[in-house]
Amino acid sequence: MMKLKNILANFKKQFLSISKHPYFGFIVLGLVFLFALLLRNMGLLTISVINTFTLVMIYSVVAMGFSLLLGFGGLASLGTAGLVGLGSFIMGYMHGKAGISFTATIAIAIGVALVVGLLVGFISLRIEGMYLAIITLGLGEMLRQFFISYDTFTGGFTGTSLRSFQIFGKLFESGNDNYFNTVYIIIIICFILAMVATINIIKSPTGRALLSMKNSESAAQSMGISIIKYRLLAFVLSSVFAVLGGALYILHTKFSYPPQWNLSYSLDILAAVIVGGAQSIYGIIIGVFLIFGLKVSVLNYIPFFSNNPALIVIFNGVLIVLVVMFYPGGLIRLLQTSWYKLKIKLAKLKMKWRTYRYGKDDQ
Amino acid sequence: MPGIDVAVRQILIIILGLIAIYAALDLFWFRKKTQKSLYRSKALNVLILLSILTMIIVSARLFTLPIIIQILLLNTVDLSILILATTAVVLIFKTSVTTNFAQGMMATFGAFFAASVVMKLIAGGSTNMTLILFSGLFAGIAISFLLGLFIDVMIIRKGKNVNSVGKQMITMGLVMVIMGIIPVIFGSNPIVLPAFSVDVKIFNIGDNPMVIPVQNLYAIVITVIVLSALFIALRFTKWGLGVRATASSETVASMMGVNTHVITAMSWAIAGGLGAIAAFFYASMGTQVQVASMVPVQVNAFMAAVLGSFGSFGGSIIGAILINVFTSIAPYYNGTWQLVIVYGIILLIVLAKPLGLFGKKIAKKV
Repeated sequence: MMKLKNILANFKKQFLSISKHPYFGFIVLGLVFLFALLLRNMGLLTISVINTFTLVMIYSVVAMGFSLLLGFGGLASLGTAGLVGLGSFIMGYMHGKAGISFTATIAIAIGVALVVGLLVGFISLRIEGMYLAIITLGLGEMLRQFFISYDTFTGGFTGTSLRSFQIFGKLFESGNDNYFNTVYIIIIICFILAMVATINIIKSPTGRALLSMKNSESAAQSMGISIIKYRLLAFVLSSVFAVLGGALYILHTKFSYPPQWNLSYSLDILAAVIVGGAQSIYGIIIGVFLIFGLKVSVLNYIPFFSNNPALIVIFNGVLIVLVVMFYPGGLIRLLQTSWYKLKIKLAKLKMKWRTYRYGKDDQ
Repeated sequence: MPGIDVAVRQILIIILGLIAIYAALDLFWFRKKTQKSLYRSKALNVLILLSILTMIIVSARLFTLPIIIQILLLNTVDLSILILATTAVVLIFKTSVTTNFAQGMMATFGAFFAASVVMKLIAGGSTNMTLILFSGLFAGIAISFLLGLFIDVMIIRKGKNVNSVGKQMITMGLVMVIMGIIPVIFGSNPIVLPAFSVDVKIFNIGDNPMVIPVQNLYAIVITVIVLSALFIALRFTKWGLGVRATASSETVASMMGVNTHVITAMSWAIAGGLGAIAAFFYASMGTQVQVASMVPVQVNAFMAAVLGSFGSFGGSIIGAILINVFTSIAPYYNGTWQLVIVYGIILLIVLAKPLGLFGKKIAKKV
């Protein structure tokens, strides 16, 4: 009996030590999303909820790359939509039409992202602050125009569609559950990998260098941090994340058409990062859920909102305004502070209970 | 790239040549001077002027001068809209240090109100069309003025400790709010806003007959009147002095006894009014008022402000004129790639002069 208790205690101790590891939360989150797929296959969840989860995961990948730029590098960019669109069209054209294998397509996408990221990075060395944001906005519009005009690559206004894809020698045709499940699992894996990559970048010397660059460029330079290197790195990383997000997007929705990658998409990503909290991975996921997922998964089931669809837009807008005005650190900061306050309250209550139960401590 | 014409290729070659000249000058001459930066900035100014001139010369080889003037005359209403929107953006940037993404939406709200007033008056049996449209315009200006005032007093002022990206986010949230409110107030049916006049006026420059729509004349006259009033106010009134003081430093201005609250609120209100005029003309050009109609104008206004510099009104207006010239001539070279060409030119100019054509570098204390 004693032995069993020991084993249990040991197990608990080990579990606690594992649960402190940063990857633990990511894997739990991935398992939760996987469990949602199981529930859907049993018929307990509707397909729209699963679609919302998928979009939240894809956009979280994009937003994590963006937060490396904004939350750590302190560089505002409004050209995200163009990069995401580029990723989706590369996937749609190279894999869907030209018949290049899946891994090679991903490699090409990353190569293109490297080139674009370096280009924007070099531009950012000369142009700063609000000017950079607006120039990147112009670059995003240029990319959108490029998608619309260059119709052998993107299909012009009608867009590109991806009917099937082939991975590890297996062909998946769209339109059945097998395709849907495979894509969902691929997206979960990419989502977890992106989170792992992000936290590794944040906690490494690179992340610290980016953070110091954000706070004061002169101070960072005087400590021996090369501005050129880290700016280029920040842009390259964020564009790689964005392009991969685009590739995942076309796998999930099976089509991508140029006018969709406009300014408002970039602004939505920016809003998600700011509202959730630019320096925390869970904050970003909360922000993405609020901006992209709240409407489909929650508000559509409340009769008040589903009867007046205009109110959903107003609700989102008011939410953004209120969060930015009163919680500049994002919603994650609010959750953290309220959790901390709750802990203090609980400790006080415990003390009170003890004094009541055992009498006052004389010392 | 597919479909690039000869003239565009020539322009590209000329620009690359100018860049090469600058690099060569920098390598062999400026590096050895003691006042490098002075020489560099002077050479840049000369080269940018040269490149703009060569673009005009190359375009003149494709067209004759009267045709260019004709094209520009036809685009004057776009020019007025762009100048008004740019001035509004710069006004808000100067006092609140943020780029106002809600500018277009505030303007569209005004245009919707103006259109509904016009519809009411027409349904009420008025027949004097000019009077009706002017009353609609003034109603739109008034409602956007109040909206701008309301936004600053109720929202932007409360978020004083929010940084400039945060303020951008607030204006983005406002875009969503106004976008949701418009169909609730004005209904989801499209509202038609008629033009002042559909006539054209024909006159001669030399021997060449020129055509200009009367609507454009209305737009030019109203823009000139409004902007000259604004600039006179900025130059000679206490409010204008306050705007300039707030632009240089809000804290110091408020310490010196400038009521920065009133200054900022009035700037937002006036920016709203300017936007309403722009949106009114934009809507009456396309016959229908739409929610998202002002977005491309707003993007162009931001680009114009970057091109000319956010710091100065005159510079940003020149930026707007340049963008208008580029956008009106580019389609004749190449219809599909015009946006890429125009933004590419702007990008090159801004790369050469990072603070815009007329921006002054402010020394920062580390």
